[in-house]
Amino acid sequence: LPRAQGAHPPSPLSFPPTVTSEQIEHLHRRFKQLSRDQLTIRKENFDSIPDLEFNPIRGKIVHAFFDKRNLRQESDGLADEINFEDFLTIMSYFRPIEMNMDEEQLDRFRKEKLKFLFHMYDSDHDGKITLQEYRNVVEELLSGNPHLEKESARSIADGAMMEAASICVGQMGPDQVYEGITFEDFLKMWQGIDIETKMHVRFLNMETIAHCY
Amino acid sequence: MFLLLPFDSLVVNLLGISITVLFTLLLVFIIVPAIFGVSFGIRKVYMKTLLKIFQWATLRIERGAKEKNHPLYKPYVNGIIAKDPTSLEEEIKEIRRSGSGKALDTPEFELSDIFYFCRKGIETIMDDEVTKRFSAEELESWNLLSRTNYNFQYISLRLTVLWGLGVLIRYCFLLPLRIALAFTGISLLVTGTTVVGYLPNGRCKEFLSKHVHLMCYRICVRALTAIITYHDRENRPRNGGICVANHTSPIDVIILASDGYYAMVGQIHGGLMGVIQRAMVKACPHVWFERSEVKDRHLVAKRLTEHVQDKSKLPILIFPEGTCINNTSVMMFKKGSFEIGATVYPVAIKYDPQFGDAFWNSSKYGMVTYLLRMMTSWAIVCSVWYLPPMTRQPEEDAVQFANRVKSAIARQGGLVDLLWDGGLKREKVKDAFKEEQQKLYSKMIVGNHEDRSRS
Repeated sequence: LPRAQGAHPPSPLSFPPTVTSEQIEHLHRRFKQLSRDQLTIRKENFDSIPDLEFNPIRGKIVHAFFDKRNLRQESDGLADEINFEDFLTIMSYFRPIEMNMDEEQLDRFRKEKLKFLFHMYDSDHDGKITLQEYRNVVEELLSGNPHLEKESARSIADGAMMEAASICVGQMGPDQVYEGITFEDFLKMWQGIDIETKMHVRFLNMETIAHCY
Repeated sequence: MFLLLPFDSLVVNLLGISITVLFTLLLVFIIVPAIFGVSFGIRKVYMKTLLKIFQWATLRIERGAKEKNHPLYKPYVNGIIAKDPTSLEEEIKEIRRSGSGKALDTPEFELSDIFYFCRKGIETIMDDEVTKRFSAEELESWNLLSRTNYNFQYISLRLTVLWGLGVLIRYCFLLPLRIALAFTGISLLVTGTTVVGYLPNGRCKEFLSKHVHLMCYRICVRALTAIITYHDRENRPRNGGICVANHTSPIDVIILASDGYYAMVGQIHGGLMGVIQRAMVKACPHVWFERSEVKDRHLVAKRLTEHVQDKSKLPILIFPEGTCINNTSVMMFKKGSFEIGATVYPVAIKYDPQFGDAFWNSSKYGMVTYLLRMMTSWAIVCSVWYLPPMTRQPEEDAVQFANRVKSAIARQGGLVDLLWDGGLKREKVKDAFKEEQQKLYSKMIVGNHEDRSRS
């Protein structure tokens, strides 16, 4: 049973509780709002969120909801529509840390979140982020600026890719071709960044009517 | 068969008597005060009794939930997730610092930059400011209408009986009464204005027209059992001005027009609405547009300007949001009415959703369903504030003026002042807004890059 919490914001050391039934209820109502009371959501339903238009990688985020790898399905590719369970599965990538997690769980937690981000880069689902895919992401992120030439965006992407290669493979010979960033390499690059404490969405503490135990 | 006869005639007699009593009640307590603009105060007593009953019902639900040890679902109005107020720059700096230790002035792209946008995107998908405004506001206590209850399973037998009684009263007593009143009001309006229309123009015609309009709107107000509190009536709109108000439902018109004599602006509809509109315009110069003319903004502006320039003409009633909002916020005002150059009299309307939710979700309910829902609610309770008049200052343009008026209305009514366009209910965001965030990010990455390559 969820504990009734006070209304002050959680300090860094107090972790919020696991997803409660109320939060699921809230998400369910949000799901119904987005799906207009249907049982499934399609890509078009995300068009009804005006704030999302601000986001340069809107396409990739929406795509991530339908990516079968994120939905933990065996097959590959894209789903046409998702139901509420799938919606919750995607939202679970943004769960905050729980207090009672041990090292192994924390590590798995972190890997899951990073895998979600990896899938956003790796659009052809081949397990590697190639130079072209990297360029795509950078171009999308910088696409809002009409004054930016394609060449500048491209050179920035290339520079960053070379940097990535040097971190992952070290010095390359003149004939070596760097095929792409694999997931293990990807993990290396995020070392030191506390994804697990930053990549989550916190629910506001909702007051439940006090009940006695 | 012979045994049934006396019983039969008894039933018929009873029916006859009750109908007569009903109509006498109607006439004496409702229509006559409406004609003279006085009130017996019956509705206020009704409202107080209802409030007491609602409080009792809520307590019962809470008690029922406590007994079963379950938490109650309490809708959270302000949003369900905590959104950090940090800016784009701060967050990306922080992430980079913790990762590679590089400062932001080395103009490079980092793999981790995508993270900020990803999280922001998911936050908006979970909960955004705009889509929330377009569904009916959620209540904290139960008002005995099943349409607003989310905690159905905690209702005891006593509450169910009470609810059943409520349904009976609302559908079998209040609904026919209200329909009869509405019918009376509308037919009086149509016949009254047509008759007045035959009179020659002059003070007599104006006087009669004003009172016919007021009387019929008052009857309609009673038909909805609307309990309205008017504040600051000394600021009521005067001739030659424009009255702007926030829009929640078509009932707004009835509420405002029962306290003042306005010239309405709108599109001519077909059917019953059209009949009413055509009758009304015979007695008083309302501004009705054909469907094709509505699209032509210059024509609309021209006609409104002509009307307003004649100082003897009635104040125009306009709802600049352009669509119905769910009465928790005020959305962008369209600038058309603010370009005309007349004095603007802002009015704030706030409904109390406890007695009946007046918001018209036009994508969910048609007009008839909506009216039926209104007439089977307990009552429509609202407050109307007349704000002091405003004029456009020389240094501001129409959009700034519109925003100033909007803030005043939002502040008075206790509504959230939003920059978003009410038209977003149906359309998508204009492209200009989209570019801002992207420009900011690319400036961060590239702006310095260009400086570097130049030096």
